[in-house]
Amino acid sequence: MKIGYYPGCSLEATAKEYDMSTREILKELDVELEELDDWNCCGASAAYSTDYMLSLALPARNIAIAEKAGLDVLAPCPECYVRLWKTNDAAKEDPKLLEKINKTFKGTDLEYKASVDIRHPVDIILNDVGLEKLKEKVKKPLTDLRVVPYYGCVLVRPPRKNSFDSAENPTSLDKIISTVGATPVDFPMKTKCCGAPLILADEDVMIKLADALFSKAKELGADCMITACPLCHMGLDGKQTSIEKAYDKKIDMPVLYFTQLIGLALGISHKKLGLDKNLVSTSKLVKSFSAAPK
Amino acid sequence: MAEVMAQVVPQQTIKLKDCDPNFVKEVIKAGGKNAHICFQCGTCTAGCPTVYAMDYTPRQILRMVNLGMKDKVLQSGTIWLCASCYTCQSRCPRGVEITSLMGALKSLAIKEGVDVKNIKGPAFYNSFIDIAMSNGRMFEPMLFLKFAMKSEGSLTGAAKAMMKDAPFGMKLVMKGKMAFVPHKIKQSKQLKTIYENIKKMEGESE
Ligand code: SF4
Ligand code: SF4
Repeated sequence: MKIGYYPGCSLEATAKEYDMSTREILKELDVELEELDDWNCCGASAAYSTDYMLSLALPARNIAIAEKAGLDVLAPCPECYVRLWKTNDAAKEDPKLLEKINKTFKGTDLEYKASVDIRHPVDIILNDVGLEKLKEKVKKPLTDLRVVPYYGCVLVRPPRKNSFDSAENPTSLDKIISTVGATPVDFPMKTKCCGAPLILADEDVMIKLADALFSKAKELGADCMITACPLCHMGLDGKQTSIEKAYDKKIDMPVLYFTQLIGLALGISHKKLGLDKNLVSTSKLVKSFSAAPK
Repeated sequence: MAEVMAQVVPQQTIKLKDCDPNFVKEVIKAGGKNAHICFQCGTCTAGCPTVYAMDYTPRQILRMVNLGMKDKVLQSGTIWLCASCYTCQSRCPRGVEITSLMGALKSLAIKEGVDVKNIKGPAFYNSFIDIAMSNGRMFEPMLFLKFAMKSEGSLTGAAKAMMKDAPFGMKLVMKGKMAFVPHKIKQSKQLKTIYENIKKMEGESE
């Protein structure tokens, strides 16, 4: 299959390893990506916190670009994903809203029809590639690795019509973890907010919320956590040393993008997966699984 | 960290003359969708991860919005502590779009230029949108700089804040995760046009 790729700003910078590993594993799983031409920032939470129409127009411009190319949109960053699908699903149901969005495009050659679909890589792997195929492709099962499936907020919330997962008790990442041979930790806080959206505006709050997640993960004997979100990753991986400092303790918990975990099991080199770009060292994991062919 | 127990705010008399009956309409127009159908069950408050630091709970904010308590709502710390996690919105038995409402309140506070001590939300969102609209893509070094300038309000304050975050920034640079030059999209003019259209549309419907 072929799909329009919308990396979003994070994947070009602070989440480079997410971009690298997403491209790598999807190639291996026969999903072809065509990056949308001249895409723009989706506006994230900043757009709807400053101007409602702007929060619709920014995602819509990207979808219009995908429509011109005749492609559905793949958005790995959950914040981009939610901004894109919320705009698109609403415009599909409400012709007046669609018209209003197009009014913001007056004087440009953009035309938005709300005619394509917005997808997430977790959804693609579950429902298009399929877990069976993923299993066939596994070269190095991640045996005995205890992984926390951390969903965070906007990957599954707010509930979307025909969503690939449940908002209250999602299981898609759990299934992916099992399929690559690892053990999903039954994590009661898997959808609890890590506070990362407040990293800049109120770091203390973020540190407190993220610490609660790590305490639970440690208590349950986790070896690592996975996430699908660049913002969660920034909080949990990027700011882990700040949390250690604030509470004067050692956490030392690798936090991987779920695509990096899959990539390890597919036998893709750790360099290509950007596993050397995570701030908390992943070398133990790499050592255990990078050199042990089936 | 201020741990405010919002739940124990003493009972106050709400004076109708301090209320703005049009406020809820204004909020709905700004993206607050269906704020008026809240029936005060408190489910939103029960699941909110940041409520411990808020001055009013999400349920209280809903009530205050519907009563038209504009000034108090727009000056509350609550709206800036909302992490946009969508827990409340997913669980509300009335289907109130609470997260969207919090966003709408933030946008109104920003438009009215509300300035609350120690609240850095407006500085963050404004910096973010400035960059997104002029370049079409985020540029983190500029985001840090602009945010520090806006939230600290002085060059020395900004420098101090930047110094505090410098080690983290350096780590990102070392890992190749921070760009040195901004990426400007080819059609950045389109964004300017879009922005102007939106301003015009807002003027028309008023
Ligand atoms: S959960 Fe919904 S109905 Fe209940 S108080 Fe909150 S907004 Fe109102
Ligand atoms: S979206 Fe905001 S108000 Fe609602 S539960 Fe999350 S942090 Fe609280």
